[in-house]
Amino acid sequence: MKKIVYDQLEETLYTETLDNGLTVTLLPKNEFHKTYALFTTNYGSIDNTFVPLGKEEMVTVPDGIAHFLEHKLFEKEDGDVFQKFGKLGASANAFTSFTRTSYLFSSTEKVKENLMTLIDFVQDPYFTEETVNKEKGIIAQEIQMYDDEPDWRLFFGLLSNLYPKHPLHIDIAGTVDSIMDITADDLYESYHTFYHPSNMNLFVVGKLDPEKMMQEIRDNQKKKQFSKPEYIVRYFPEETVEDIKAYDSISLSVNRPKSIIGVKGVKIPPTGREGLAYKTKMSVLLSLLFGPTSKNYLELYDSGLIDDSFSYDFTMERSFHFLDVGSDTKEPEKFSKTIKDLLLTAKDSHELNEEHLSLIKKKMIGQHLQSLNSLEYIANQYSQELFGEATLFDMVPIIESIQLEDIKEVAAEFMMEEHISIFTILPKGE
Amino acid sequence: MVSNLAKGVHLHVLPTKKYKTIQISLKFKTPLKKEVATKRTLIASLLEVNSKKYPNQTALRSKLSELYGAGFGTNVSKKGSYHIFSVSMSLVNDKFISMESNLLEEATDFLKEILFYPNAENGSFNNATFNREKEKLADDYDSLLDDKQTYAKLALLRLLFEDEKQQVPSIGMKADLESITSESLFNDYQELLANDEIDIYVLGDVTEEKVAEVFSKFEFQDRLKKETPIFYNEEAAATANHQIESQEITQAKYNLGYTTPVFYLGEHYYSGQVFNGLFGGYPHSKLFMNVREKESLAYYASSSLDTFNGTMVVQTGIDSKEVEKVKEIISQQLIEMQKGNFSQEDLQQTKSMLKNNVIQSEDNPGSVIERTYANHLALGRVINTEEWISNLEQVTKEEVIAIAKQVQLKATFFLTGGTTK
Repeated sequence: MKKIVYDQLEETLYTETLDNGLTVTLLPKNEFHKTYALFTTNYGSIDNTFVPLGKEEMVTVPDGIAHFLEHKLFEKEDGDVFQKFGKLGASANAFTSFTRTSYLFSSTEKVKENLMTLIDFVQDPYFTEETVNKEKGIIAQEIQMYDDEPDWRLFFGLLSNLYPKHPLHIDIAGTVDSIMDITADDLYESYHTFYHPSNMNLFVVGKLDPEKMMQEIRDNQKKKQFSKPEYIVRYFPEETVEDIKAYDSISLSVNRPKSIIGVKGVKIPPTGREGLAYKTKMSVLLSLLFGPTSKNYLELYDSGLIDDSFSYDFTMERSFHFLDVGSDTKEPEKFSKTIKDLLLTAKDSHELNEEHLSLIKKKMIGQHLQSLNSLEYIANQYSQELFGEATLFDMVPIIESIQLEDIKEVAAEFMMEEHISIFTILPKGE
Repeated sequence: MVSNLAKGVHLHVLPTKKYKTIQISLKFKTPLKKEVATKRTLIASLLEVNSKKYPNQTALRSKLSELYGAGFGTNVSKKGSYHIFSVSMSLVNDKFISMESNLLEEATDFLKEILFYPNAENGSFNNATFNREKEKLADDYDSLLDDKQTYAKLALLRLLFEDEKQQVPSIGMKADLESITSESLFNDYQELLANDEIDIYVLGDVTEEKVAEVFSKFEFQDRLKKETPIFYNEEAAATANHQIESQEITQAKYNLGYTTPVFYLGEHYYSGQVFNGLFGGYPHSKLFMNVREKESLAYYASSSLDTFNGTMVVQTGIDSKEVEKVKEIISQQLIEMQKGNFSQEDLQQTKSMLKNNVIQSEDNPGSVIERTYANHLALGRVINTEEWISNLEQVTKEEVIAIAKQVQLKATFFLTGGTTK
């Protein structure tokens, strides 16, 4: 077991890769009452075309299968795992993203029993045609709930423009039609391919004794048989700049228009610590350009083009990265044109100056430290494991090292007119 | 520790080394009156964007960035017969910052500027700021209704209460906005500062002396204690009030409102918590198990209590054509609760979930302040976690059945997708 001490932050991480390939990381925070555990597989909604374990031919599975699997893993022959956690006084949950599926519990008692329950239920699938079919109605309602959420529709509208071939544009839960095709065999096939311990990580934070807990996890894993780890072959369609759709819009029954503008990253970003630094630079760039300390923001706000719904984000996950800027707005056309101009002229923007940069760095460091109050935040961030050895505890030195030239460089390289797309939602009848 | 900065202005210091932050929250309370929610929501917006010293958002947000990304915000909420206006800040604990700083002092200086020196002149808020924020709030009300879950929730509120003041959500309503002027609002704000009862909470790695010292600079005057009881209690209805509305949506929302005898930390509080947990609060509850797991009719079907006005709300998202079936299941499950058709094991499981929730809430500084404030409002003292849990453990099956029998349907709201045949 490796021990990493972060003096300034007063945090100590314990980590080990077990014989079967599972990565385990423990972060004791014994002044907290609760223990929060997150068991994550590096498998999400975009992984819909792959070579199944032990096979040679590529298959494409129905959309929404990763999320469907997440729902169904809770059901066992002897009942629902939710109930088991409930009896142990824990709250359990799970979520599926584009590239990850995570299972979690938090509890203030019976931590060992809860942790073993978490590991065991995720590692012991039980799917039948009957239980699979019963879940379809529930998930159909979940999909339809999102169908009525305008911000969700806006975001996926943009993704469809930027990634018309890449499965990123497909709703994480799939569609009401696609989930109807899912069978128990499909679930087993995806499960065996992506839930191998070598494709997973376990993160536990909060009240815990690292030595004792690590031993409990080792003992649990030793009792189970797994096949030898295999490299997972995934397939994503090639996309060119010509595939990007520059504009699209839909009409919904909303009171106010919404607009979002996105820029697709086309170069493969750096990996490891450099990757985390790259992601951080892009976030700094967006804060400089659009954050509430910028003159741009004040002008947009004062002119009534944006309101409190205004937001910007840089997303970087396995196989894709993009930025997006969106808002409810009276004038969607003017909004998107203004933002587009600001993006395209970013490298020469008056916002990119030494004084502003040092302010943003100060703010980011403070906000980062504040976010370390939340066990959930730490666990969720840590389980992304996108940047090799570099973790969220390296953020302060990474932020401190960023120079103005770095920001200008990423701005110049990223903001290309042909990589930009706009998506708008208009009220019905306009 | 509690001390008074003036009559009716209480300072509560909660020292702890547990968090990486220091949390500050000022809570102003006033009895609900017509339009008070709308006015105070607009005040909240104005104070959040600028002040005399920080005349625009760039200046104000730059100051917060200099304070190492200090969080600052205003908020409004309702607790029974009162409207609560809050101003909060969160700061990183100085000891995690490499450079020399005194964030607590700087933050309270900032708060003093925001509260006592707003962007105003000659007895009115700055006109440009006022007009813009008023217009934005009008837009916000429109946007809010684009979220159908919120839409259905607010519609149910109007059916659930006869008292108009209770029907209005904590953030107010568009219809009340028109008549507000920058002069009238400035007067309202002066009244808030002068007459509201105030509770100030500071939680984190602080000393009582230091906090008392930095807040001694605040110029609060004496004010009268509010006599209106905190709890709002409305009679159950002889017959329930039903309403249906049709919109172009994919998923229908069917919400139900009930009256209950469950009031915060009152006689039926703990049995009420267990009742709600069992009926629709948790994944092992009657509603979740029957509406979702057995019949696959919904993704969510849950109940929640408002223990400051004695109500319970059930929310579901369903297919329009299934509404009769869902209605039948919900009413049947309440009958099951009344008949005591739940096991000792179910009861115990619900208690351990509730216990887990209350202990976990202590890990979040914001939740600690909210709970302490709610304790002060209801009892004037703090119920510690051990006491809370011990009261919970004593709840019997008979007490839960007794609550179930007193829960009465008062209103339903059905937002249909229009596919009802």
